[in-house]
Amino acid sequence: MTRKSLTARILKTFAFTALLAFNFAGVFAQSIPTDDANISNGKSLFDANCKACHSVENKLVGPALKNVYDRTPSVEWIFSFVRNSQKVIKGGDEYAVALYNEYNKTEMTSFDSFSDEEILDILSFIKNETDNPAVVEVAVADSGDASQNNEAVSSTYLNVIVVGLIVVLALIFVVLILITTVLTKYVNNKDGLDDIDKEVVNQSFSLGATLTSKPFMFLAVFLFTAIVFKVVINGLFSVGVQMGYQPTQPIAFSHQIHAGQYEIDCNYCHTGVMKSKNANIPSPNICMNCHSAITKGTNTGEDEIKKIYAAIENDQPIEWVRIHNLPDLSYFNHSQHVNVGGVECQTCHGPIEEMDVVKQQSLLTMGWCVDCHRNTELNTKDNKYYDKLVELHKEDSDKALTVEDNGGLECAKCHY
Amino acid sequence: MRDIHMNLLKSIKSAVVLALGVAMVSCAGVDNPGLEYAPNMYHSVAYEPLKQITDENAGDWVQMDQENSNYGEYYSSNPLNPNRMNMRTPPANTIARGKSPYRVAKDDLDSAANVISPYPEGNEAILKDGKVLYEKFCDHCHGKDGITPGKVGDVFLGVPAYNSAAIKDKPEGHVFHVITHGKGRMGAHASQLSVDERWRIARYVQKLQKQ
Repeated sequence: MTRKSLTARILKTFAFTALLAFNFAGVFAQSIPTDDANISNGKSLFDANCKACHSVENKLVGPALKNVYDRTPSVEWIFSFVRNSQKVIKGGDEYAVALYNEYNKTEMTSFDSFSDEEILDILSFIKNETDNPAVVEVAVADSGDASQNNEAVSSTYLNVIVVGLIVVLALIFVVLILITTVLTKYVNNKDGLDDIDKEVVNQSFSLGATLTSKPFMFLAVFLFTAIVFKVVINGLFSVGVQMGYQPTQPIAFSHQIHAGQYEIDCNYCHTGVMKSKNANIPSPNICMNCHSAITKGTNTGEDEIKKIYAAIENDQPIEWVRIHNLPDLSYFNHSQHVNVGGVECQTCHGPIEEMDVVKQQSLLTMGWCVDCHRNTELNTKDNKYYDKLVELHKEDSDKALTVEDNGGLECAKCHY
Repeated sequence: MRDIHMNLLKSIKSAVVLALGVAMVSCAGVDNPGLEYAPNMYHSVAYEPLKQITDENAGDWVQMDQENSNYGEYYSSNPLNPNRMNMRTPPANTIARGKSPYRVAKDDLDSAANVISPYPEGNEAILKDGKVLYEKFCDHCHGKDGITPGKVGDVFLGVPAYNSAAIKDKPEGHVFHVITHGKGRMGAHASQLSVDERWRIARYVQKLQKQ
């Protein structure tokens, strides 16, 4: 083979490859439309049909669809895979089989009703998302920082005011001392002062004399007795009352994020509240309904959520600290109050959805229970059980039927 | 006069000490629940669920029967259970009284589709209960209407719309099965919802699928 022919051949091959690549790119560009109408149609189709298992950016049940048109064998391959993936896999297509095995043999639902145009619209939406990734997250983070900065600024501002005021007060104090010294000197130097005048001018402030004076002693004794009395009475009244108890929990779980920000119903985790005496503390399998995928917390990052995974891995229960410790001498049943009585959780537990760390909001004393039983009216509407009771009650009283009237203050209702 | 002062100073001193002492007891940190009144009536002798005191000497000082008892008054823990808990999970392969088992395996969605709801069609009360339960247990992910994801769904990702082509024709048994065992990213909800409640929710989801 001559040198010339070899060069020609190489050139030819190169030209052919370039042509092929160019052609392919041309076909490709034609295949995926870029019109806004196509993209928005693709978005609605994607939201309605694909979103359950796919996202453009993240791997969910199925792979992330970013660049899917580049990495799969061809657009035609995508058509047939979307319409019936099992057929493609059983046909022995190498890429399809590898994909099927990578995703633990999860079968993709067949969308045989999709036309070529519809699938192309979905691809145009994916291409649009791939080329212009959403920037929502960054914006959220920025706004969070801004609000934190605002708070920091306002607190330093307050500090500056306080320090300023203290400095001004100190200056006034110094100036006043100076004035009195100057005045004393001036008066002393003046002629014609008798002894009494001099004594008045030069009288010195004696700490000992003030402390031992009768009015001061009376005041001191009175103040101390009052304070001690108040503290002792308060101390006695707080015996057996755990209001405000806010223990540190083994995991820094925030009700503010779960029940407040994400609006998860209390009942979702506290499964016993409608059925049993206890509202129930959720077991880690309930956490895992969401934290199987959400591995990073809003406040604490990954550290606290990792404790759930550790508990499951080691089969070691999480030892939550019980906050509401009703004494054993009284009986309380959640279902009776929440299910039958229709009491909201917040009535007794306070604004749980705003608490980062839960604390005991209510007194939980007998007086507190009894007050509520006296003032709460029973919902007797459309309930035949109460018809006769309401009738009898109306004979003696013109007020509504309360929990008290239905035996809510009987000793043995709670103490037995 | 001096004696009176000395006495006064002494009483002031003791008052301060007393006040400090009370203050220390009343705010001994967030982890201290405070003093209990009549503590031997506070702690259950019987095993209580969701409560466990593993310290064998807890409440020794109020133990009435010092001679015959090995444990303190507050001790409440079952040494025979795993982790000495007061509750334990039911043994494997047992059925609770009054409950009927659901035996369709997790992957067997075809059989699940043929399971029929115990409630007859058109039972409005069931649908109403289903809606209440749906809004407690499902809507934070699936959304109030079953189409637009709720606030958790937005961050959890991968929440399907009930009226999408792949889901809108799924039968009630399929919905029940998915709530029971989970599917894809969704976890099993059998521990949170009884069989009966799951069927009620399934009935309401059927309504949402037909939007």
